[in-house]
Amino acid sequence: MKAVKPLAALTLLAVVGLQGCASQRSESALDEAGATFQKVKDDSDVLRSAPRDVIRAGESLARAERLSSYVGTGADVRHYAYLSQRYSEIAREHAKLAGNQERLAKLDLERQRLQLALREAKLASVQQQGKWLEAQIVSLATEQGDRGLVMTLGDVLFDTGRAELKNSASRTVLKLVQFLQLNPRRLVRIEGYTDSTGTAEDNLALSRDRAQAVADMLVDLGVDEKRIQVEGYGDQYPIEANASERGRAQNRRVEIVFSDDKGKLAPGR
Amino acid sequence: MRIQPLLLALALLGLAGCANDPAPDEQLRLSEQALEQAKAVGATDQVAEFKLAEDKLTRARANMTSEDFRDARLRAEQAELDARLAEARVLTQKSEEQLELLQSRVKRLRKQLEVQP
Repeated sequence: MKAVKPLAALTLLAVVGLQGCASQRSESALDEAGATFQKVKDDSDVLRSAPRDVIRAGESLARAERLSSYVGTGADVRHYAYLSQRYSEIAREHAKLAGNQERLAKLDLERQRLQLALREAKLASVQQQGKWLEAQIVSLATEQGDRGLVMTLGDVLFDTGRAELKNSASRTVLKLVQFLQLNPRRLVRIEGYTDSTGTAEDNLALSRDRAQAVADMLVDLGVDEKRIQVEGYGDQYPIEANASERGRAQNRRVEIVFSDDKGKLAPGR
Repeated sequence: MRIQPLLLALALLGLAGCANDPAPDEQLRLSEQALEQAKAVGATDQVAEFKLAEDKLTRARANMTSEDFRDARLRAEQAELDARLAEARVLTQKSEEQLELLQSRVKRLRKQLEVQP
């Protein structure tokens, strides 16, 4: 009997000790869940966006607390403390999400406002650019009565007897393309002319080829083919007498006839 | 006198029987649903809470097979909340990424507007 007693005491101590450890663990879980719950309960944003989860966190916590007053319920206390902790965390996460969504909505409005402002600014600058180009084209062209606005490309654009555009033509043609892109309703007729050297038949073909070369380049640079008419007049309609070299040079030309801004083009000659 | 311990044993067994939970089928269904929902918004094993939920659900199913219904219920309950937290975290994460993207776009727009004459 005497030998048994210390053994029993030891066993008792061990059991109590274990119980102590277990209840310590439950207590810290309970404290933690309590602290987390306190924080979400006092946060009006969380309460507003996830009231149900906050209530459940409170209910689970109360249950854990109630169970902790009984012996041998450590596992249950920890379980309900865990659930309470999770409900609090879920509530907090929902509040964060709601806050982010609010900010997203505001930012999106801001983005739309800025996009509109930028579009307006760009439009204004394009309009300005358009006016500048128009002035440039007008300065290169002349108003010719019933033919309308006519721009003359001199023979510097072509070598004698050749129909290929020289590189020096690019700048003028580019300006033309930009002008047509900014004025999408305007049409053009490209008219080719030669001097009186050579046969009338050859001249007619050459004048047409030259006009076509200009038209091809416009199309390559993005102008719609439907907006371009091509005409060859050979050595007809000279602007100077063909007697002098200077006069002949003036007569070797390509003329661009513009429609008005409503697409109305003067008839060909 | 001999009958008393027997009665006591019976009574204890009876109590234990009472304490035994019914099968938590409904809770398992709820937990599975929560996991599905988390997966649907894009939760993967990379999200710690989702991994926890999966593991607990697996163990809860094993508990069901061995008819440890109490353990099954506790694990399934925890799995449900783990999954719901995982879902919420994924959604928050996504909204934060959207915010960042939108913020950078707004910044770029502002810069472009400054450059405009």
